Amino acid sequence: MEQQLEKALNEINSQPDTVGCLITNRQGLCLGAAGKINPKMSGIGMALSEQACKLEPNLNPPTIVLYSGNKRCIIQKDGEITGVIYKESSSN
Amino acid sequence: MDTPSLVMSKDINSYFEGLLKKVHGLYIIQITDRDGAPVMRVSQDKNVDFTLTPSFISTFTTASDQAGKLGLGRNKTIISMYSNYQVVQMNKLPLILTFVGSENCNTGHILALEHQLDAYLEDMRLAVSES
Repeated sequence: MEQQLEKALNEINSQPDTVGCLITNRQGLCLGAAGKINPKMSGIGMALSEQACKLEPNLNPPTIVLYSGNKRCIIQKDGEITGVIYKESSSN
Repeated sequence: MDTPSLVMSKDINSYFEGLLKKVHGLYIIQITDRDGAPVMRVSQDKNVDFTLTPSFISTFTTASDQAGKLGLGRNKTIISMYSNYQVVQMNKLPLILTFVGSENCNTGHILALEHQLDAYLEDMRLAVSES
């Protein structure tokens, strides 16, 4: 049933520098995860995207990028679902 | 002057009040023992007193015990979705944690609080198991 979702997640995870990704629903529950990412992150990722949306309620949901050393966390909301991607650059 | 235990309980109370504000749509965090005797409760100005009815916690305890017999291991959490509320209950025996939020509250965020709470629950767990 979730084969297509898993395929999409694996595809995202195979992109350069990507170490993990997950997709969460409107309730912050993890629909699927691939790579090195904690599925429990889904609720917090969803909460972050909800808060960021409040900055400009009339515009489309923003893409959030959190930088931490050579790691990046990218969060994008699209309708009912939110995607979280972890990236790690090999060099700074 | 406040006794150390009173200072600690105030700390814990303010910590839980902070958590309540962090999760949008969360109305109540309630900690009880397995029979439903209240240990701590923080709430927003919302009338959701049904969590204090005597049968509420004991029903969860029974349901959790029964769910443990399904062969999937010990039951840890039960999420109940209602038309106006959602209730997340965690089995942390001898304590039971109950979170009540709006129907569109971020369930994943509530579940993510679990590991943050463990350190704060340790003293309460000792107090309940000693009594």
